Amino acid sequence: MRKTLILCLFFHLSCFAQNRELLYNFTSIPQSSLVNPGADVSYKYYFGFPVLSGISANVGSSSFSAYDLFSKDGVDFNQKVRNVVNKSSSNDKVVTNQQLELFSGGFRIGGRESRSYITFGLYQEFDFFMFVPKDLALLALNGNRDYIGKSFNLGDLNMKAEVLSVFHVGFHKKINDKFVYGGRAKIYSSGANATSTKNSGYIYTGQQAGTPNLYNQVISSNLELKTSGIASFTKDEYDGNIARDLTNNTFFNGSLGLGVDAGITYYIKDNLQFTASIVDLGFVRQSKDIETLTYKGTYRYNGANPDFLGSDDPENVFDEFDKAIPRDTLYHKYTTWRPTKIYSSIQYSFGEARPDDECNCHGKVDKYYKNAVGAQFFAMSAPRVPLFAITAFYRRNIFKKLDLKATYTLDTFSNKNIGLGLAGTIGPVNIYALVNNVLEYKDISKASSAAFQLGINFVFQDKDD
Amino acid sequence: MRSSSLSKISSILFSVFLLFSCSSDLDFDQVNDFKIEPIFVANLAYFDIPANKLVDDGGTNIYPDVRDFDIFKNKFFNDRLKKAEFDFEIENNINRSFVINMLLLSEGNQILQTLSFTVPAYTGTPNVIKYPTEVFENARLDLLKQTQKIGFVVVIAAGPPLNSESLGNLKLRSSATAYLVIE
Repeated sequence: MRKTLILCLFFHLSCFAQNRELLYNFTSIPQSSLVNPGADVSYKYYFGFPVLSGISANVGSSSFSAYDLFSKDGVDFNQKVRNVVNKSSSNDKVVTNQQLELFSGGFRIGGRESRSYITFGLYQEFDFFMFVPKDLALLALNGNRDYIGKSFNLGDLNMKAEVLSVFHVGFHKKINDKFVYGGRAKIYSSGANATSTKNSGYIYTGQQAGTPNLYNQVISSNLELKTSGIASFTKDEYDGNIARDLTNNTFFNGSLGLGVDAGITYYIKDNLQFTASIVDLGFVRQSKDIETLTYKGTYRYNGANPDFLGSDDPENVFDEFDKAIPRDTLYHKYTTWRPTKIYSSIQYSFGEARPDDECNCHGKVDKYYKNAVGAQFFAMSAPRVPLFAITAFYRRNIFKKLDLKATYTLDTFSNKNIGLGLAGTIGPVNIYALVNNVLEYKDISKASSAAFQLGINFVFQDKDD
Repeated sequence: MRSSSLSKISSILFSVFLLFSCSSDLDFDQVNDFKIEPIFVANLAYFDIPANKLVDDGGTNIYPDVRDFDIFKNKFFNDRLKKAEFDFEIENNINRSFVINMLLLSEGNQILQTLSFTVPAYTGTPNVIKYPTEVFENARLDLLKQTQKIGFVVVIAAGPPLNSESLGNLKLRSSATAYLVIE
């Protein structure tokens, strides 16, 4: 069981942290250009080990952990569910993001002295974002009896999910020793999308003096669920293999979209570096197998009202409900925006060193710094309000070909998230491993967020003449 | 559609939670213990009859009416309803006494149960009566679940005649409490 789960972790639900604070500007890893196309990465050419070049996992929940629900502490499971619901607020979120790089590569264009590069790749991504629907959870757990006068907010229902593949081609150029810029164009192919982020309405039971009935009961609903690439799986006549068809749709028959990444690196001084990037500024035009469900209307429930004085007006609660809040199915295309990420960093380097482990016969001295400290900023668009994080980091060059990066991140999910990353190169083989939230690894089930990432690349530099 | 995409999403979410089991001792079988017991209240029935509509000669008269009541056609609700309670509140400002019968009727208009409320005549003091809660459990609940219609019979006992000038109202308000068990 566990082994299957580990496999599942590696190959299906390998998740990137949305915020890849360890990868960002960790330029000994070619994939760092995915989070800043203007990262100061250089090589003659590189390619990622197919399927193994970028594997990682991330899940975050701002109000509860797996331990809260599934610990073997003898507490009744239903009580634990209640505790989780009670301590959550409707602004708490559950976020997962997973990416699997299928192939990637890059090469320098122009001559030996050129510092222009082309990169390309294909990765698959899964995004899920949900706010904790606290009010509806309370209503389902407890019913309305003890909540007379409370409006249960249907706007608490707020989620989106998407599976897509991304093909990208990028370019970056170091125009001089001070400045690098880069950009990347992306074609998104979305295999499945579900979006329900613009809900409103309420379920209300109140008591009001002077009204003929005991309760004043109203459901006012403005619910909408837009889906693309999912509707046919839910039909009774569907008898295919969902996983296979979904994969097929994701890579070959998805709803298409376009996006761009852009970034820069600027050396204010030799040892003072500024970077900034924007990633996934783009959209998907959801057009394949689309279906939108809506429940819109207002229903007031009065119960049976006999009329002893003639006119018979038959009532039917369900018919009336369906008439008041009809379920409509619409089939128009819609546009979803990709979660856009913004990164920035400032880095101060110290501890000047020279590559003294090799004979430098060319007279040209490649000095470098053994240490760097700095701060990073991250923001991502999300329903309601954007997510933010700030990170302090320390980077150390242990050996010439082995780099360590440590981060301390404050975000919605944790205020003591320490991450550690290692990237090493042996010959042309570049291996990296990045682990986030290390403090929680002694019992990861208590972690409210977790991420790891690892990968293998083959990187080729110019041979020394 | 909605439920199945939700279940797909929740299964994905759940698998994500499962990942954590790789490094810690958790018991996911607890999900099987999942059981919630929400309690819902809702209006059941109400009416408000002004005395001046009950024109009568002072003898015993009967006013009947039948309403569709189809909540028990909902299988999800029916299967999970473990207990129900009905509460009635009747206010009489008419100088006559009444008997109000509530009949729970099957599809074929068979009387499954009769709830009967005696309402004393108005004598000038406020006359709001809260009747004891009707509790439906076991066999009585099974009868309730077959209910498709609710019939009301208002019986006016003999007393001073009523005409279009008569004052006062006979008001009934009632609520149902449903105890559900969902697992």
